[in-house]
Amino acid sequence: MTKFAVALLAGAALLLSFAALAQAKGKVIGVSWSNFQEERWKTDEAAIKAVVASDGDRYISADAQSSAQKQLTDIESLIAQGANALIVLAQDSSAIGPAVQKAVDEGIPVIGYDRLIENPNAFYITFDNKEVGRMQARAVFAVKPVGNYVFIKGSSADPNADFLFAGQMDVLKDAIASGTIKNAGEAYTDGWLPANAQRNMEQILTKTGNKVDAVVAANDGTAGGAIAALAAQGLAGAVPVSGQDGDHAALNRIALGTQTVSVWKDARALGNKAAEIATLLADGKKMNDVPGVVKFSGGPKKIEMNSLFLTPIPITKDNLGVVIDAGWIKKDEVCQGVKPGTVKVCG
Amino acid sequence: MLARLLKSAELDTRMLGMVGALLAIWIAFHLLSGGLFLTPRNLWNLSVQSSSVAIMATGMVLVIVTRNIDLSIGSMLGFIGMVMGVIQTDLLPKLLGFEHPGTWLLTLAAGLVLGVVLGALQGYVIAYLGIPAFIVTLGGLLVWRGAAWWVTSGQTVAPLDDRFTLLGGGPEGSIGAAWSWAVGAIACAAVVVSLVHSRAQRKKFDFPLRPMAAEVFLGGAACVVILAAVAVANAYPWPIGSVRRYAEANHIALPDGGLFIAHGIAIPVLIAVGTGVVMTFLARRTRFGRYVYAIGGNPEAAELAGVNTRWVIVKVFMLMGLLAAIAGAVSIARLDAATNSEGTLAELLVIAAAVIGGTSLAGGTGTVAGAMLGAVLMQSLQSGMVLLGVDTPLQNIVVGVVLVGAVGLDTIYRRRMGSVS
Amino acid sequence: MNATHTPLVDMRDISLSFGGIHAVDRVSIDLNSGEVMALVGHNGAGKSTLIKILSGAYRRDSGTIAIRGEEAAIANPRDAKRYGIETIYQTLALADNVDTAANLFLGRELQTRWGTLDDIAMEAQARQVMGRLNPHFQRFKDPVKALSGGQRQSVAIARAILFDAQILIMDEPTAALGPQETAQVGDLIRKLKAEDIGIFLVSQDIADVFNLADRVCVMKNGRVVGTARIADVSEDDVLGMIILGKCPPRATPGPGAIERSQ
Repeated sequence: MTKFAVALLAGAALLLSFAALAQAKGKVIGVSWSNFQEERWKTDEAAIKAVVASDGDRYISADAQSSAQKQLTDIESLIAQGANALIVLAQDSSAIGPAVQKAVDEGIPVIGYDRLIENPNAFYITFDNKEVGRMQARAVFAVKPVGNYVFIKGSSADPNADFLFAGQMDVLKDAIASGTIKNAGEAYTDGWLPANAQRNMEQILTKTGNKVDAVVAANDGTAGGAIAALAAQGLAGAVPVSGQDGDHAALNRIALGTQTVSVWKDARALGNKAAEIATLLADGKKMNDVPGVVKFSGGPKKIEMNSLFLTPIPITKDNLGVVIDAGWIKKDEVCQGVKPGTVKVCG
Repeated sequence: MLARLLKSAELDTRMLGMVGALLAIWIAFHLLSGGLFLTPRNLWNLSVQSSSVAIMATGMVLVIVTRNIDLSIGSMLGFIGMVMGVIQTDLLPKLLGFEHPGTWLLTLAAGLVLGVVLGALQGYVIAYLGIPAFIVTLGGLLVWRGAAWWVTSGQTVAPLDDRFTLLGGGPEGSIGAAWSWAVGAIACAAVVVSLVHSRAQRKKFDFPLRPMAAEVFLGGAACVVILAAVAVANAYPWPIGSVRRYAEANHIALPDGGLFIAHGIAIPVLIAVGTGVVMTFLARRTRFGRYVYAIGGNPEAAELAGVNTRWVIVKVFMLMGLLAAIAGAVSIARLDAATNSEGTLAELLVIAAAVIGGTSLAGGTGTVAGAMLGAVLMQSLQSGMVLLGVDTPLQNIVVGVVLVGAVGLDTIYRRRMGSVS
Repeated sequence: MNATHTPLVDMRDISLSFGGIHAVDRVSIDLNSGEVMALVGHNGAGKSTLIKILSGAYRRDSGTIAIRGEEAAIANPRDAKRYGIETIYQTLALADNVDTAANLFLGRELQTRWGTLDDIAMEAQARQVMGRLNPHFQRFKDPVKALSGGQRQSVAIARAILFDAQILIMDEPTAALGPQETAQVGDLIRKLKAEDIGIFLVSQDIADVFNLADRVCVMKNGRVVGTARIADVSEDDVLGMIILGKCPPRATPGPGAIERSQ
């Protein structure tokens, strides 16, 4: 390429960036994702973008692709791009510390999104993950209060997996202690991969000779794998299974009766709220003054955080209408393959 | 006497060693798990769990033999799986209506074509543009995984077409007792016929023959193994829930003791074995296979001999793409869902299977049968450990140690053998 | 020499450059049936490159090749083989991991009527042709890398004669061989000469050249210094051509010869 052409291109690039800068009268809200590949986060992003756009602000983001290392660079880059507030979905809550401190030092408010970042200068907004675990256990317990329970947990590398398990145990520990419920098998699911959940469930079924009465699965993906394994043994529908995330496939399974509950966290509500709070904080409001703020010190380091907890909703066969009315999923998707008369909302 | 018999049968000692190791692992797990491992049920499950990796390992052998590598197959599997999911749940129902009997076939065909195209693309860049396979397929790993997400913006596609899910196994996805015996009988007959034919050919040219005792031993042993495997598959009955549904649907009265309906050989296992047979045939009895090994041994010699080495390499990668598509079909059918994370890290398992099975990363050596054995061996380790309640992180450590150990042993063995002229 | 006699191989004004380097520069050389033409010169003189042009491994930039008087189009090794040109490379060009029969038939495998490899027929022919060269050779099932140097040499030679080569190119055939095997190669060459096969013999060994060749062509820096009948020159003359580029009186000088001072 000739030197002239290169110079021309460079000039054009400079002009464009000046134009962009000049255009941004509003604020810049930066979001650092941990791994955009998972099904759920696209919904969160759409919600954040909606609020940011309606406020006349600009949305920038980066995807750390499950690498804590990359997330550090991502946050630095977002700061460099002029972010006035940062929303961070931490890949690794401990490793994220230095990056968050850097932002805080520059006076940029940081909001820990869904996953805890234990820095007293960061805001924490989430659905209560331990409560999610409790809801999963409660729904399954309501169907089968006695018998052999199997726990298909999340990824051993994800702290959320342990939060969920702790919540589930909260609800079930008395029954386990008294012997009415037996822990017949538990396994982490590498990478949250449904195929791994299926294989682990198969082995546990073999080990117990199919004597399984209930499965507490950590999310809808792993629930799908566990249910596939149950189906191969003719047990799908007879064994209650829990899940989380409100995946469309899972909601359909709830209507069909093979899954009992999917704890739905309206990601749109979380995204909206986070974007609102980001704008408030960027405008100079103090964290203490955010409407609805509570103090939370339940993390491993017991640091007191300004937080906002949204309530998850357990979706079962009886309240499928909630997700349909909220516009989360269409009725014919939920009701595909459902025998008429079996599910209220499907007719 | 046994040693002489084995030697005269001209069997590959490496292969025998691997079979021995597999049996040792199986027996160890059986004892440790209190008699759970060597049951028809667990072995049947094991066969289905191994099929996806085994299918892809057959192609990876050829890739590695030609001194290349393919790091993208897991991502390709995921992408093709998502496309097949969308085709059967979205596209075809719109064109042909719901539950059309031809949906599964059209979906599978589309997936296979896509696999060949993706493989050809990578192969072309590697062979004709000269970019190293490691780089091209590393790029592929990233590109196809991203593409898998793009197909549905990350959403899982479920459930799949009823007939398509038969490809994944399960009670309906198995061929039943009668057909299994038929398959076993045909396989046994094929082994005997090939032994007879090869002996006749050798006689025609006055070549030295194997002693009759060795021939009989080979044929007999092969038949015993085949029929034993079929018997194990037939000893695994349908679960009571499925039996009840079947009885209701076919208006059969259910006797008191229940009805014993055997699973038989699972369809994904049949596909895997069939793939293994075809790939072995390709590798040993066709010019294409001969060129693959020659290129692995000495690419320059192959060029000078007039072999179109670049076209051969493209074909190797096209084959790999096709196999990734087949494995993808089997995987999503088994899960009854297409997820964008399907096949993550599969390439590592496939490469490990091939290498444990005797394929040398330096190129030029490797057998299809060995790779399939390697896949079964690794899956045995993983599944066996879950049976014993060993948790995931420790599982990974064990598999990693076994991988290095197996290849280490192989390297030492090769060195010893190489020093004998 | 009969003026109307058509040479078996007639290469005229062959040139090939790699980047800016003239590996072969306007080289003309010919070969008659039943004759051994030795091709000698320093390392890097262009001998291997020239014969690789004839064998189809390289494509020439310019010049013509005529086989038995007719212009030959040689674009790849396959084409060369079709003209009956077989090469025994210095590195032998054997695929180490496959067996003897596979190497002999590499690129030209025999097939059964169903399109599969006819291993049995190939092995039979392999036994036959190896028997001509080395009657004691039995290791047909071993991969070629397990064979000794001399045995590998036999396989490379067998490959050339298996397909009824008319023009044989031998690149340093005795470089890695002991005296007994060298003598064997010599016998083979004499036998092939008697069958009217033309042989290009590339060699650094002057003794071999004078022992086996009928004519010699010396190259230096990609150009021909001179061509002569062996009977017309001495070893010192040839050495002078190789080292100094000085063409002796009874040799035909080429473009690379230095001006003879009168």
